[in-house]
Amino acid sequence: MQFLEVSKRYEHNVVFDHFSLDIPPQTILSVVGPSGEGKTTLLQMAAGLLEPDGGSVRKEKSEEGSVSYLFQECRLLGACTVYANVELALRSSHASEAERRSIALHYLQMVGLSDSLGLYPAQLSGGMRQRVAIARAFAHPANLMLLDEPFQSLDIKLKFSLVDAFLELWEEQPRTTLFVTHDPKEALMLGDAVCCLGDPKEPLWYQKIDIPRNARNITDTVMLGWEATLVQTLVNA
Amino acid sequence: MQRIKRNLVLLVSSLLLLLIWQVGSMMLDSQILLPGIPPVVQALRSLIEQPPFAHNVLATILRALQSFLIIVFSATVIGVIAGRYDYVSVALRPFVTTVKAIPVMSIILLAFIWFSSGTVPLFSAFLMGFPVMYVQIEMGVRQLDRNLEEMCTLYEFRFSDKLLHFVIPSMTSWFIAGSRTALSMVWKVVIAAEVLTVPQYGVGARMQLAQVQLQTDFVLSWTLIAILLTALGDLLFDALVLFAGHLKRRLDAKGVPCNFSK
Repeated sequence: MQFLEVSKRYEHNVVFDHFSLDIPPQTILSVVGPSGEGKTTLLQMAAGLLEPDGGSVRKEKSEEGSVSYLFQECRLLGACTVYANVELALRSSHASEAERRSIALHYLQMVGLSDSLGLYPAQLSGGMRQRVAIARAFAHPANLMLLDEPFQSLDIKLKFSLVDAFLELWEEQPRTTLFVTHDPKEALMLGDAVCCLGDPKEPLWYQKIDIPRNARNITDTVMLGWEATLVQTLVNA
Repeated sequence: MQRIKRNLVLLVSSLLLLLIWQVGSMMLDSQILLPGIPPVVQALRSLIEQPPFAHNVLATILRALQSFLIIVFSATVIGVIAGRYDYVSVALRPFVTTVKAIPVMSIILLAFIWFSSGTVPLFSAFLMGFPVMYVQIEMGVRQLDRNLEEMCTLYEFRFSDKLLHFVIPSMTSWFIAGSRTALSMVWKVVIAAEVLTVPQYGVGARMQLAQVQLQTDFVLSWTLIAILLTALGDLLFDALVLFAGHLKRRLDAKGVPCNFSK
């Protein structure tokens, strides 16, 4: 996916001004940046929810069509069971009920919720609700995945278990992913590249992470160096 | 334990109310001003034994039910449209504000000039109940969670699924609140309109005739019947809501695969 010379402004606030960014297919790009610098705008333009004022968003053929979106809040249907929340996101693409059932169950099992299928969102903990949202995002047949700080406001243990669940599902079926986060560590551990927003014309910092995801260690000197640079960039932004 | 205590308090306060009535009647010592409990019970028994009783009660129930159903249907349809399109809501505002402000009696008296006595209770109850239900439905539509709506769009929910699993459940509490208030209002207005217009059959009409003949025990008996009808209506409505919730949970459980092994 490519953002080509994209421009976007909200009244007097110029968020993007001929901004370009390239995201190779089936990779994760972590996007960090101070608040109000266009992270969510970037996701909304990628989803097609927002049209750029100028420039274009070009998608590969394999990235076209539907998108999966993981929001900050879980956005589950309160009147539907865990199972129905996932199954409903499959109805437009899978006519066969048996097929939908098998896909929904597969993803719910992978996020460890196969014992909670009949529960309603109000009966789940915050972490469990986010797991349902993750299962729904992966079950939905989209080649483009957009994550808007989905692990924010979770305690560290829960965050790591959800990141693990996310990565396990992602490795099973890699999709082009834009991952917005405030956490530099999270960005470095998950992304194939990290991009720091803050300048409307170009990324303040862009770093390809060429260490395989399963070999990454945040205490590694290279990773620590990147983290320090990222934090410094964010502080100066 | 808590429930037993609550019921006990309820019983004691009800008995206290009856006691106040009886003591008041004994102090006034006038069958016209305030008859005691035994004469009223006797009047109630004689009312029930007379054949037109069922006709009278049924006529009131039918009027209340008819106007309630018309309110529910029209207020839901118009409320949804007004919630969705701002200019419809603005166009309806003067009508709703006026109707909300008009005294019930004015509506009944005006309706009596325009319509026959049987139609007046229906029309008046509709005019009084409609704004209550309409406002709730309009609010419900306006308060629909935009985030969930966006989610439905992104995950390409079919229209029927969005309606069934997002819109209707989100609207349920507003719908219940609106229809519950409208229902209790409908009983009161129907009976008040019957009192003023005296149709051939109706609880209010009988109440009025008894009052003209200074049969206070019969007025009180009909009042008791009116209270009972309202209470039964509320009870039936609550039971219906409970049943619908129960049915939904059963259907949901049916939709969840149970033969799934890890």
